[in-house]
Amino acid sequence: MLKQNLITNNPLRVFKTDTKGNEILQRMGLVVSRPGVGKTAILVQIALYNMLQGKQVVHVSIGQSIDKTKAWYDDILKDVTSGAKAEEVESVKYEIIRNRMIITFNNSNFSRPKLEERLNDLIKQDIFRPSCLVIDGLDIAAADHQLLDDMRALQKEMGINIWFSAVSHRDEAGKGDNLPAVFKDKADIFDTLLMLQPADAGEGKIFLKTVKDDTGCVEPGKAMCLDPTTMLVWG
Amino acid sequence: MKRDLDKVRNIGISAHIDSGKTTLTERILFYTDKIHAIHEVRGKDGVGATMDSMELEKERGITIQSAATYCSWKDYDINIIDTPGHVDFTIEVERALRVLDGAVLILCSVGGVQSQSITVNRQMTRYKVPRIVFINKCDRTGANPARVTEQLRDKLKLNAIPMQIPIGLEGDLAGVVDLVKMKAIYFEGDNGENIREDNIPAELQDEADEKREEMLDAASMFSDDLMEAILDGGDVSEELIMAAVRKGTLDLEMVPVFIGSAYKNKGVQSLLDAVLAYLPAPKDIENIALDLDKDEEEQVLGNDPEAPLVCLAFKLEDGRYGQLTYIRTYQGTLRKGDTVINSRNGKKVKVGRLVRMHSNEMEEIEEAGPGDIVALFGVDCASGDTFTSAEISMSMSSMHIPAPVISLAINPVDNKAQDNMSKALNRFTKEDPTFRTFMDHETGDTIISGMGELHLDVYIERMKREYNAEVEVGAPQVAYRETITRKAEFNYTHKKQTGGSGQFGRVGGYMEPLEEGEYEFVDKIVGGVIPREFISSCDKGFTASLAKGSLAGFQVTGVRCVINDGAAHSVDSSDVAFQLAAKGAFKEGYQKAGPVLMEPIMKVAVEGPSEFQGGIMGSINQRRGMIIGTTEENDYTVVEADVPLSEMFGYSTVLRSLTQGKAEFTMEFARYQPVPKSIVDDVIAEIKKRNEKK
Repeated sequence: MLKQNLITNNPLRVFKTDTKGNEILQRMGLVVSRPGVGKTAILVQIALYNMLQGKQVVHVSIGQSIDKTKAWYDDILKDVTSGAKAEEVESVKYEIIRNRMIITFNNSNFSRPKLEERLNDLIKQDIFRPSCLVIDGLDIAAADHQLLDDMRALQKEMGINIWFSAVSHRDEAGKGDNLPAVFKDKADIFDTLLMLQPADAGEGKIFLKTVKDDTGCVEPGKAMCLDPTTMLVWG
Repeated sequence: MKRDLDKVRNIGISAHIDSGKTTLTERILFYTDKIHAIHEVRGKDGVGATMDSMELEKERGITIQSAATYCSWKDYDINIIDTPGHVDFTIEVERALRVLDGAVLILCSVGGVQSQSITVNRQMTRYKVPRIVFINKCDRTGANPARVTEQLRDKLKLNAIPMQIPIGLEGDLAGVVDLVKMKAIYFEGDNGENIREDNIPAELQDEADEKREEMLDAASMFSDDLMEAILDGGDVSEELIMAAVRKGTLDLEMVPVFIGSAYKNKGVQSLLDAVLAYLPAPKDIENIALDLDKDEEEQVLGNDPEAPLVCLAFKLEDGRYGQLTYIRTYQGTLRKGDTVINSRNGKKVKVGRLVRMHSNEMEEIEEAGPGDIVALFGVDCASGDTFTSAEISMSMSSMHIPAPVISLAINPVDNKAQDNMSKALNRFTKEDPTFRTFMDHETGDTIISGMGELHLDVYIERMKREYNAEVEVGAPQVAYRETITRKAEFNYTHKKQTGGSGQFGRVGGYMEPLEEGEYEFVDKIVGGVIPREFISSCDKGFTASLAKGSLAGFQVTGVRCVINDGAAHSVDSSDVAFQLAAKGAFKEGYQKAGPVLMEPIMKVAVEGPSEFQGGIMGSINQRRGMIIGTTEENDYTVVEADVPLSEMFGYSTVLRSLTQGKAEFTMEFARYQPVPKSIVDDVIAEIKKRNEKK
């Protein structure tokens, strides 16, 4: 019951299939928001959505420790499972531990070859076979175009989903639903571009807006309303 | 004569195993005239180093217990605690750090920052111990102090600032350039005892200028005067630089780095000078005690020798002089003949002989003031006890004590060994809170438990050598547990009528999993169907049943037993009858409550060169390990995983051969978790087989 609720209310659910009902197994996505709005939390929800369906996810954390990354999951789980039966919570936790692998890098040493080497260590020994990567902490605005092209190539070769987060600053913010200018020249690399925006003060909601989606799941301009505590769909 | 507290240093020397701690301490004692000959740790003369006073330490070339020793350098009193480097003895390191004011972290110039250095550094940070670094073994092939300094910054996140550069390296190590004095220092004579200052060799002048500038930049952050002096462009005095570096070090914002080779007698005296110059005096450190009269309110202790006494027993030793208790005094004065109070149990203790220890020699003293580390004779106490004057009731804050993870069964070979073993175990459990012992009533074995295989191994050796207690040792055992997974009802009648007075009792109710805690008993009896006087008998019966689960004979935890029905007989019911009825009820309910076997899961961190990452992960995977994540820093990778303890025996050997000895691991207890269904039958069968053999 708990597990089903978490899947049903996950914002990623709308990106699961295209309009014809075909499951999207490959995608490179980007979630952009101002600092503190919930980029990492939404990446954690993307990871949870996959893990709870038995898919393995590698959470790549750049500039953060394993403990800190784990703490994100623990905090979000605490919120989304409050009031649930202890055994259901335990079962969800077990599923997460089983299907999650955290890989951390320093800010300076993240590259496709390094990531690929580490993924291969896991895959070739049949220790872990991810169908999704979430990559948190990479400075997309400053990142070399080549690095993102490399990541795109890796995503295609492995046939998986990769989601990135990126931070935008107030002075870079685009008007309305527009993507901040600093990401404009990189937009073509991604299949899906999402923006997290807080609702007006006092409303206590967050909007997840689709800026672009080449996979045909969601029409650009559509927005979803999320609960800022859990990052699950509002209501 | 009033002691000048500014001239006291209580320092620890800690680091990774084999980075040369004991050798360095030996040299320090030699230069401070405490010993008159140098013996190597694993020297050919068979004497061993002075600080390794335990026979076993000398044989293995490792330091197990932190021998406290006192020496004097340039009119300063220095108390040194030599601490063990192996992870299994971490409690010794932690304890030492608790009583010290400053520390020297030793690193090997070849090995650099290794896993144990990370642990030790974390401990130092936890106890806010200002530290300086000594990069030892600069005479070894492959020595690279600059790389080690980088690792200090990258891996330990320390603001490591070199205070010296080497003159030559590896076999050519001749001395050091002091970047404060801007002089070359050579250590000459058979034992490096003659110090010669000279001009900096021309080929090193540029490097020295550059490094000095870096050092001044870093130091000037802690002194406006120094910054002004640098900006003015004039000469910067040595005093100004040293004061700034001292401030940075005491604020834990800076770690001055020194270099040398203790084995080749180079750089040790400079390090001693640095201890005086940059590490804190007792009054530079704020110590906190808990006031037991004010609901454990925190109290800052002063360094006033006239204030009421507060001191901490941080180590016990049973040596050739009888029982020794090492004490650190925080405030007040401890005098021979005084009566002090042990704040743990309120017992009065008379201070008999008071001595300053130099490894296994000692010096009688009359009193010890704030900041002193001394030893008492014949005091009955446990490690970690606080002693105070009668007028106050204080306790030093409790120390972090890790839980034991492994146990062994031991059996004395004869009656004499039995007595000696009891004495030894009594002593060890007082000395070391991570070492525990109990009797398995079923098998008659004495079980000892501790922090790792080597930890227990050392105590078994000590039993033989120090107490002449020969014991037979069983294989290491994992402390499994049992628990239930669902609610189950019971209704059991105990009835016996075989002549004499009979026995009768019926206990009805249910048992269910308990989320937190080990056991709970709930009485829901109404109408007195079980008379009040027998309710506690039921509780006793259940409690006794918990000791040994029927699944595999391990302790049962996480159970709530509820009684809500029963019956009694006016003549035949008794305490024993209801205890037996409850035992029967427990057995009946337990079978139906889905009992499972739980095993201890360890949090394991394996650290090694990145090239071995695949192999390390494979080895964890083979051990039923769940890899949580990996962290890469430079060319090193740390793999973190949760692994069942039962799979970790012998892992160090496997890891060594897998990584050419370049990787290491640490582990600590994380939680209990059910043994997977696929292997639980095999595990239980093996345990039963083992028990049958006994």
